Amino acid sequence: MRRALFLFALVSSAASAQFPGLSRRPSVPPPPVPLLMGIDGLRAEFVAQSGSDKVFFGGDSAVLTAPARATLAAQAQWLRRHPEIIVRIEGHADASDTRDHALAVAARRAEEVRDYLVLLGVPAAQLSTVSWGKERIAVIGASQDALALNRRAVTVLVR
Amino acid sequence: MIARSASLVSVALALFAAPAAAQQAAAVIAIPPLTTPDEKATGAGSPAAVAWQASQLIASDLRTTAELVPVGPDQKDYYSYPEVTAPTFSRWRAKGAKFVLAGFVRSRPDGRLTVGCYVYDTLKGTELGRTGFVVAPEDWRRAAHKCSGIAYTAATGAPGIFDTRIAYVAESGPPSARVKRIAIMDGDGNNQSFVTAGDTIVLTPRLSPKAENLAFVSYVDGQANVRIVNLTSNEQRPLVAGSGGMSFAPRFAPDGRRIVFSMQAGANTDIYVADSSGGPAQRLTAAPGIDTDPSFSPDGSRIAFESDRSGNQQIYTMAADGTQQRRISFGGGWYAAPVWSPDGEWIAFARRIPGAGSRIGVMKPDGSGEKLLTDDALDEGPSWAASGHELIFQRAGPDGRPALYRVTLAGGDARKVVTPQDASDPDWSGVVD
Repeated sequence: MRRALFLFALVSSAASAQFPGLSRRPSVPPPPVPLLMGIDGLRAEFVAQSGSDKVFFGGDSAVLTAPARATLAAQAQWLRRHPEIIVRIEGHADASDTRDHALAVAARRAEEVRDYLVLLGVPAAQLSTVSWGKERIAVIGASQDALALNRRAVTVLVR
Repeated sequence: MIARSASLVSVALALFAAPAAAQQAAAVIAIPPLTTPDEKATGAGSPAAVAWQASQLIASDLRTTAELVPVGPDQKDYYSYPEVTAPTFSRWRAKGAKFVLAGFVRSRPDGRLTVGCYVYDTLKGTELGRTGFVVAPEDWRRAAHKCSGIAYTAATGAPGIFDTRIAYVAESGPPSARVKRIAIMDGDGNNQSFVTAGDTIVLTPRLSPKAENLAFVSYVDGQANVRIVNLTSNEQRPLVAGSGGMSFAPRFAPDGRRIVFSMQAGANTDIYVADSSGGPAQRLTAAPGIDTDPSFSPDGSRIAFESDRSGNQQIYTMAADGTQQRRISFGGGWYAAPVWSPDGEWIAFARRIPGAGSRIGVMKPDGSGEKLLTDDALDEGPSWAASGHELIFQRAGPDGRPALYRVTLAGGDARKVVTPQDASDPDWSGVVD
């Protein structure tokens, strides 16, 4: 906001210097310019530039695969440029896991992602984790593909 | 509210009683209508009306068991008040009944009712048990469940499962945004009520042994944590204040005073025990890996739990102080969610077999005698009936929607338990006082 006002001041002072007569006119509010992106815009940009806000895991595993590491490297690059963004890493398990083990293994996945992002230079204070166990199934079904798509950790921009 | 008619039950009993030679055949128990000395009063809540309703409920309770086949009530089997304590045994023997349950309902000057029940062995002509209650007319169901209980105990030696409560998670809404509420019902499916409002995810309700308190997991603080609610006052509080990681998988000790549960710190999850009324938690396991789903033995001396310290989920036992940890499951696949039976004889579990879903099974506490009770389905979360003869568990359908089922230790098909909404995470209490 402060930056927007400052820009407007620059524009109007330049205008008055060029056209001295204008300064006596009642000031006209400038058109709204989205100088700061909203959180939805930031999320879209984050996904576009990182490739994905999700990484996927093997059954019963919290080990980061090579594609997961590549995605996280791109995520880290973006997050380092936006130290003001608060991020929550949400770990998930698939429906074939039992209720309580799912909670713990999903927590492990979120922790694994958090630790890797920190290793890549994202400040730890920017990151928190939560485990949803198997409570937020993204893809319905018992097929191997559906199960694999649910074993995930999602990097969620909070604000 | 078991979803099947009387005739279907009889058929199922015949099916699974026959091949199990070691299993005792189901015994016939005659349930003539309870009698009353106050025959003149009629209408709702009158002794005569309650006597008839209670007789029907007793028969319906016993029909859900594998061990007893109730016959009656039939209005023709009327007997007089003095005959309650002096039944004509030959009459019931002639009907093929090994047992007979006789009883009465009598009004009291204060408006309440006295309900008395007696169970007899018709062959020996001996009394096997009796029970008596003073109840408000509207609480007649509990008195009837108590009568069913002494009949079951007389016939099997095990506690009855009728005056019990079942806590579970009632589910509605799409899978990606399920609304989950803790619900409680009587052991026969009556008296459904909600404990939580559905505004936050809740999991794994666990009743204290006599169903006075309930431990459960809630996301109300933004992550999974164990909370305790007193079911009389509805007062609620966190079990462990200000823990950094999640706490989950709570279960009461047999004394109802302590709770075992899991707490997560980073990638590691260990088992802790804490006083259910508050105070610091004591750590019981320290192995790297996920240690969870702890369950006390009925004498409180040992704890069964699952751990993936060996590489995948397996069942272990340990002393209640965390020493003597040893693995007891060695079959293929994963073993999860162990629960110690009320008689101490068995540990129930969910076993995940790659390509064959997840099944409910039992094994002895030393790991021997494993048998699987369900077949080819996504079953998990077993919980014992007070009798130790039966389990309730959760089964997910092909669309992922869960429902509750019951299966007996003797085997046979699992029977669906009817609930108003989709249901998961069942927990069956002991016999309520």
